[in-house]
Amino acid sequence: MKREYIFSALGLILVAFGGIMLSPIIIALIEKNYSGVLPFLVASGVSLTVGGILQKAGGFLRNFDKLSRTGGFLIVALAWLGTAAMGAIPYLFFGLSPLDAYFESVSGITTTGATVFIDFSLYPESLFFWRSLSQWLGGMGIIVLFVAILPQFKVAGRQMFFAEAPGPTEERVTPRIAHTAKALWLVYFSLTVLEVFCLVIAGMAPFDAVCNSLSTMAAGGFSPHPQSIMGYGSPAVVWIITAFMFLAGSNFALQYRAVVKRNVKFLAKNEELRGYSLIILTVSLLLALVLFTTEDGAWHIALREALFQVVSIVTTTGFSSSDFALWALAAQTLIFSVMLVGGCAGSAAGGIKVVRVILGAKYMRREIIQLVHPRIILPIKIDGKSVPETIQFQILGFLFFYIFLLTLSAYAVTMLEGSASIGLVGTAATMGNIGPGLGEIGPMGTYGNLSAPTKIIFIVNMVVGRLELIPFLAMLHPDFWRLGR
Amino acid sequence: MKILIFGTSDSAYMSAVYLSKEHDVTILDDQETIPDAFNNLDVSYVAGSGADIGALERADAGNKNLFVACSERDEANIVACWTVKRIADIETVCFVRSVELYNNLMSYRHDNYRAPYDIDTVIWPEQLLTQDIFRIVSVPEAIDVEYFARGRAKLFEYRIKKDSFILDKRIMDCHFPDNVIIVGITRENYLFIPSGSTVIKLDDKVVFMGTGGGLDMLAAKFFRKTSKIKRAAIIGGGSVGYLLAGKLEQTHIKVTIIEHDKERCRFLASNLRKALVLHGDGTDFELLESEAIGKSDVIICVTDNDEKNLLCSLLIKQISTGRIITRVSKAQTAHMFDRAGVDVVVSPRQAALQELINHVQAHDVDILALIEGGQGEVLRVTLPESFPPTRVVDLSFDAQAIIGAIQRGRRIIIPHGDTVLKAGDLLKIFTMAEDAEIIKNMFSK
Repeated sequence: MKREYIFSALGLILVAFGGIMLSPIIIALIEKNYSGVLPFLVASGVSLTVGGILQKAGGFLRNFDKLSRTGGFLIVALAWLGTAAMGAIPYLFFGLSPLDAYFESVSGITTTGATVFIDFSLYPESLFFWRSLSQWLGGMGIIVLFVAILPQFKVAGRQMFFAEAPGPTEERVTPRIAHTAKALWLVYFSLTVLEVFCLVIAGMAPFDAVCNSLSTMAAGGFSPHPQSIMGYGSPAVVWIITAFMFLAGSNFALQYRAVVKRNVKFLAKNEELRGYSLIILTVSLLLALVLFTTEDGAWHIALREALFQVVSIVTTTGFSSSDFALWALAAQTLIFSVMLVGGCAGSAAGGIKVVRVILGAKYMRREIIQLVHPRIILPIKIDGKSVPETIQFQILGFLFFYIFLLTLSAYAVTMLEGSASIGLVGTAATMGNIGPGLGEIGPMGTYGNLSAPTKIIFIVNMVVGRLELIPFLAMLHPDFWRLGR
Repeated sequence: MKILIFGTSDSAYMSAVYLSKEHDVTILDDQETIPDAFNNLDVSYVAGSGADIGALERADAGNKNLFVACSERDEANIVACWTVKRIADIETVCFVRSVELYNNLMSYRHDNYRAPYDIDTVIWPEQLLTQDIFRIVSVPEAIDVEYFARGRAKLFEYRIKKDSFILDKRIMDCHFPDNVIIVGITRENYLFIPSGSTVIKLDDKVVFMGTGGGLDMLAAKFFRKTSKIKRAAIIGGGSVGYLLAGKLEQTHIKVTIIEHDKERCRFLASNLRKALVLHGDGTDFELLESEAIGKSDVIICVTDNDEKNLLCSLLIKQISTGRIITRVSKAQTAHMFDRAGVDVVVSPRQAALQELINHVQAHDVDILALIEGGQGEVLRVTLPESFPPTRVVDLSFDAQAIIGAIQRGRRIIIPHGDTVLKAGDLLKIFTMAEDAEIIKNMFSK
């Protein structure tokens, strides 16, 4: 890969990101909170300057058509780490240590939603807006955003687009990658606006409605309210957010096609969407049953809470409509079980993704059938089409790595924190970009009291989980750095 | 009628044999001289390609009534049909073998595309065979099944086994359900039309006609336990095996396919929804045993090799009590298969021929079905306006024949002696192939 490409591309991205970082100032001005202006001016200035310097170092290259695959990976990874660093600058102004600021920023941009904040009253609205906005930007993918808005990434966008969202299928809604990126952002944006509208109708303050909508559609989970959605105490809000979380966790390309073609029939045929709905329904009903028997309250409350919480965790949003860390152990186990699933491929959700889970299950089923019928030819099918063997192995490899890294991180954190629950659940919650875990790091708790090494591990988990491991795994190979130099 | 046949394939030969009995047949093919097999037929021969307009002119295509394209190559057949249409607007019949081409030409899905393909009839022998086999499979124990009048009248053929309640009885003494009659019996490979005093013997193949309900009653009487077909095994995953498996799947029958080509196996497995696709040879006895092929209710051997089909059938016969349906290409060997204990012998050629013949017949007489390898025929005859009301017993046939069903308006009547025939009735008449002409003439006066 050529260094010039990396510098120029990264510079371009940071300059654009610096521009976007000016937007919280509008909120600060509206709320007449002038202390909230400076941090964003500074952050934006730093981002623009660094972006400019990088571009100069790269010779202001504008044509990325010859970008190599490995170069694409590197740009994607650095773009995420770099934008997160710029996004961390405003937090520094409010008394957070650099590590905490970076943790909060990474948690935002990777749509995790794990927070180090303890006392929410210390911070101005503009910062809460920035928290939610950073999630919203990260939700659809930083690269997808810039492929959509920056014409320079016309061709090279393809490499980076799939490096960022290396789902099992290479899916495009339109033949051109930039159009695809725009179409996806259009769906994303429209749904967000719709949600703001619904929440305002349901009686939420406009500022909260905007912030919560940005977090919901990104499957992020930062809420300006210290008690998350529980704090609004409104069943209507819970139902609205449940619905939009569900949409955020399903494939945007599919939603785009359903709207454009005005045909919803094929949605029912989509195996991943069916599996996703089935998982949500089954676990919700089980959870409702557990809640109904262990907690006080009517069945409809149990059902609402269960559905909201399961959708929130499956889509890796991480909102909470009640403090599930206080629920019975059976209920917590159910919550943990769906932490590993994640939403659909091509959605804002993180995690393993439903399609990989389905494929893994089908692979196991085939292994069993092959014991009984040794001569059988049984391809693994998704949506009635055979999945090529290379992709099967790729997905199995992904699952294997995911579990491997999960275990590794869980061991390390358990030793550091002296708590197996923080180790395992915290790892699952950060790697799956979910956010709240159980116990101390539960929905009403905070990550702020963890030790510094733990936070670093979690930061790595969040970025690695968000980029679906692949770019990072590629970087572990020495040839990655040698090739194309 | 003047008929031009393009090609010297097996289907072309079969068609020529049948058609040359009554019609003027010309064969067109790009070989220099006519193949030996055609030498004992009364046909003329023109050398040339069907796609060559000059060759078609030499064969006098413009003055023919029917053009049949059945060479070995699908594309050549299609082009030949188009070329003929440019010379004169005569009826064209095109044989195809590949699924894709057939779908292009025939599928309703493509009807709304701009230009229709200019071919009157497309015949795909394998698909017709698949339909035949499917009909037979769907009726337990039956060895031949035909549907008439959109399935409201049916023809079933059963083999008489030891425990049958009509064994060694005269037909007049058997108590059949209403709306069912026996129209034919095959004994030792010879088909005849029985009378009331005919005694039914062991291993006779008896042909019944009747309404759907009546035949269901009969089946219930024949086989105390109405065993539903649950499992089917298909040996050979060619186009017939593939299509058949797809159809059986739709009726929730569990299908096992054995195919020896691995690539083809992959194709089958990815295009069929639930079928169990096994890679192996149908003559591998160990495989047949370990996969419990013998436990299937019906076993269908449809590889493209007659010898292999026979061997498979015989192997399976050892371990199975299910029905065995076997494909055979050569009409001459069909009797052999029958004698060796194969329950049902089917041939793609016969299926195609039946379809083709209907295009050659006069419009008020159709052949609806060929029975027992063409020994018997079911004709459809419309009674002319001038026909006076007549009771069935008073109707004197000039040859052996029996009226199987009467379609009057929307009603289906299974006749008995007192039934009165009226002008406009559609009769389904069962008769011997050699007498078909006499029967046709009788009503077309």
